[in-house]
Amino acid sequence: MIVAILRRVVTMALTLLVISALVFVIIKLPPGDYLTNRIMELRATGEAGSVAKAELLIRQYGLDRPVWQQYLMWVGLMPGPVGFSGLLQGDWGWSFEYDKPVADVVGDALWLTLLINLTAVIFVHLVAIPAAIYSATHRHTVGDAVVTLLGYVGLAVPGFLLALILLFYANRWFDLSIGGLYDSALTNQPWTWTKIRSLLAHLVVPTLVIGLGGTAAMIRRMRANLLDELAKPYTVTARAKGLPPMRALLKYPFRMSLNPFVADIGNLLPHLVSGSVLVSLVLSLPTVGPLLLDALRSQDQFMAGFILMFVAGLTLVGMLISDLTLVWLDPRIRMGAR
Amino acid sequence: MSDFKPRGGFPAHAGERPDSAAFERGAGPLSRAGEGQGEGFACSGETWSLTPTLFRPGEGARPGRHEPTCEHDSGVGRESGVSRRALIAGLGAAALLSRPRHAFADTLPADSPAPPEKPFVIDLAARGRRTGTAGGTIRTLIAKARDVRYLSVYGYTRLVGYDAALQLRPDLLERVDVAGGVFTFTLRQGHRWSDGHPFTSEDFRYYWEDVANEKALSPEGPPAFFLVDGKPPTVAFPDPVTIRYSWDRPNPMFLPALAAPRDPLIYRPAHYLKTVHARYIGKEAADAKAKALKLRGWAALHNRLDDNYELNNPDCPTLQGWVPRTRSPATRFRFERNCSYHRVDTAGTQLPYVDTIVMDVASQGLLVAKTNAGEADLMFRGLSMPDIPSLKEGETAHRYRTNLWPVARGSEIALYPNLTTQDPGWRALNRDVRYRQALSLAIDRRTLNNTLLFGLGTEGNDTIVSDSPLFSPELRTLNAGYDPAQASRLLDAVGLTRRDGSGMRLMPDGRALELVVESDGEAEMVLDALLLITEFWREVGIRLVTKPQERTNLHRRSIGGMTVMVAAQGLDLAVPTAIMPPTELSPAQPEHYSWPLWSANVESRGKTGEPCDVPEVQHLLELDRQWRHTDDAEQQAAIWREMLMNHAQNTWVIGTVAGALQPVVGADRLVNLPERALYAWDPTALIGVQRLDEVFWDKAADTRAEAK
Repeated sequence: MIVAILRRVVTMALTLLVISALVFVIIKLPPGDYLTNRIMELRATGEAGSVAKAELLIRQYGLDRPVWQQYLMWVGLMPGPVGFSGLLQGDWGWSFEYDKPVADVVGDALWLTLLINLTAVIFVHLVAIPAAIYSATHRHTVGDAVVTLLGYVGLAVPGFLLALILLFYANRWFDLSIGGLYDSALTNQPWTWTKIRSLLAHLVVPTLVIGLGGTAAMIRRMRANLLDELAKPYTVTARAKGLPPMRALLKYPFRMSLNPFVADIGNLLPHLVSGSVLVSLVLSLPTVGPLLLDALRSQDQFMAGFILMFVAGLTLVGMLISDLTLVWLDPRIRMGAR
Repeated sequence: MSDFKPRGGFPAHAGERPDSAAFERGAGPLSRAGEGQGEGFACSGETWSLTPTLFRPGEGARPGRHEPTCEHDSGVGRESGVSRRALIAGLGAAALLSRPRHAFADTLPADSPAPPEKPFVIDLAARGRRTGTAGGTIRTLIAKARDVRYLSVYGYTRLVGYDAALQLRPDLLERVDVAGGVFTFTLRQGHRWSDGHPFTSEDFRYYWEDVANEKALSPEGPPAFFLVDGKPPTVAFPDPVTIRYSWDRPNPMFLPALAAPRDPLIYRPAHYLKTVHARYIGKEAADAKAKALKLRGWAALHNRLDDNYELNNPDCPTLQGWVPRTRSPATRFRFERNCSYHRVDTAGTQLPYVDTIVMDVASQGLLVAKTNAGEADLMFRGLSMPDIPSLKEGETAHRYRTNLWPVARGSEIALYPNLTTQDPGWRALNRDVRYRQALSLAIDRRTLNNTLLFGLGTEGNDTIVSDSPLFSPELRTLNAGYDPAQASRLLDAVGLTRRDGSGMRLMPDGRALELVVESDGEAEMVLDALLLITEFWREVGIRLVTKPQERTNLHRRSIGGMTVMVAAQGLDLAVPTAIMPPTELSPAQPEHYSWPLWSANVESRGKTGEPCDVPEVQHLLELDRQWRHTDDAEQQAAIWREMLMNHAQNTWVIGTVAGALQPVVGADRLVNLPERALYAWDPTALIGVQRLDEVFWDKAADTRAEAK
């Protein structure tokens, strides 16, 4: 078992290396680099006076070197202007846009992102599982139809549109400030009760919007899985020998229908970081999503590279966890491995 | 710098910085790097922001009041107002608080922020404005953290600057004397940086010798406006308040450059920047400081600290109205009034009236919604004409008003036929004046106006607007009517007589006349207009294909000579007076879509691009040269008019409609914000020439802003 895990870890490291090369190549694919973009923008807005300074700044970060050298320096396989200092050494790189180390820029945003998406994931599970069980056990009733309809609506309405509508009415009816994770007057202030309350109030809309699409999908899948299991002979046996209905449902078919979700953890983890880009943009949330988008647009390469690498890393770790959990959860897989 | 005394009186600082440089005011960007925001020297904002009877430095009428004025924080938190006041008293500064500032400026310690002894006294009543009361906070919204820099544009504090009537006047400077090529600047006695350090000719010397002429900081040397015939001026600093720039010939580029929206900042806070400059502390020491911050070389560190434009460094002393107090990354930026600011109203209150400016970062898509919800007291950048209905809708509920300011731009959408395009067939066509005029005559500008600008725009060429003293009506109307029949005749005369099966014209070499118009897609209105123009031109047998693309890409194609025609916004400087440079009208402009290769040639002094070979454009270049050689305003006006008429006659750029409206949202009780004024980047610096420092809150409004 341990050997198997070690083998997995080694392949993960190699995969990450390949991903890092891919990520870097893709970021560098569009013409130009941060320097040329920035200069264009300054010229277009009439700030040509700032061009010389921008040019000078960028030279100092080695953007005038060949791409492969930039890549090796970024990963930490080649000495840069200040010696070996790259991802391998724990230096996450430099953000040109903010003129700061990437770690400083991403730091706070990362926590808020995790917070929002965790809340959304919890919301999804809390709502979807009971709804799915209900609609599976009460198939073809009015209740089932209503849940299904709501699910489809959630699936069909684009998140950003829903976000805008909810924002508007939250502002109109509850006087909630538009966008952001707390009232803007509380920015840069220590975490007091007022700020936490403001945060909770502002969490409602993002949670609803991010969660709703996921909830609908989950209800549909869970319901289908459960229906499959409910028709199986072991369920019939369980009922026939007189188990109480709830127990007969939860102990066997429900447990089986959870399998696909455990297998999904691998996708869930990176989703926690990158899942809400569009909604974050629309809602003006201080999360990683907008940072990533801006970085890609302005070709702030190390910043974009780091975020993408981080998400890739999370995916790999998530896959590992879900495989291990599946082995632990499902005897069939455990036995099959032998 | 003779009046400067090293000081080590404040324990908080003395303890941190054992080296001798540390005692210098504002010396320690390095030792400060990890400290919190708001550290440093600040005005006390908390008491006066709401006090009805305000006492400001320079307000001599009420001696004996004990309201706090400007003082430094000296390491004590802003919230602890009482203890700070106690501390100040302990330092023997109690007298300072109880007497008007002017009377004893000489006895102040060298580094207390205070207005100059001879401030710029503003007579608001004479300009039909109200004399204000101080205090309050203005909230505004920005789309990106980096946009905080626009405050240094519309804060508009320059050595010399334009007033609302676009007359050039000394602002930070007390006076400017121009005699031929000799410019003498006189500073205000006792003018200080925001940290209280004296602002003297040393700051100009530092810029000239140690920044502009320091290879590590300015590899290209001093900026172009300093060069006359390629030669820099001799610069002299006879005494602490006098600076003299001398050229052999007049340099009409100089003063307008200083009044530009992007301040070239030909002075820098020497006392602050010397602490990291290799010349003053040695290269090793400077590089070591940079390395400690993971920066590569001292020049990078110097550039980072030297921040009077980007407004990211709260430690950098400034002369502007508001001083940054927040370090990025952040989603809310705070600026506090500069207690050394040089402008004072006739009642003796120091400007700016408003204590604090707060900028919240919100995504571009939410700017309108947030403004509509009353989350901004002043908002203009990021709003545009299509937003007007939603802005109007929230006016009564959230007590703001949407002023509509006409945008001074040559044309909202202009088409630039590339006279230097590589393709010989297209090049010949683009250079034919009949062809360009035919394209112009085939555009139904009335429809464009009705569709894009609610019919409120002005139809015609890409030229200056009627508010400019150089304007004459035919500049806009010449060759800019709607006459498809005449357009067809002209196209036939050019030799585009053959047509293909669908009725589209063929080029002389047999190719279909399929005109690819490229655009950078940043301005939505340009793309909408192109859709309409496609239809207009189809009627005269020309097929237009739109190619929106990313800005960098367009730029590359343009300087490579690959574009045939580009659609973009028209003239930027559309309300010129004679003394503003006519650069945009000739290939002297570094990048111009009508002749990118000629521009490159002029910029590189003949090394790249192609020399201009069209007599009419050569004449434009010659006129531009003549303008640079004279400081006689009448001659300059004549040159301007001739260049503009040259443009109208030759249709180098095909203009369509001008006169979009810029929504400028202001809270109801924000006073001295005009209802209507010209809005442009250059020369008005967005709303800059309307002077944000004169805007103030009516009392009742203050309460509301604070309550929010």
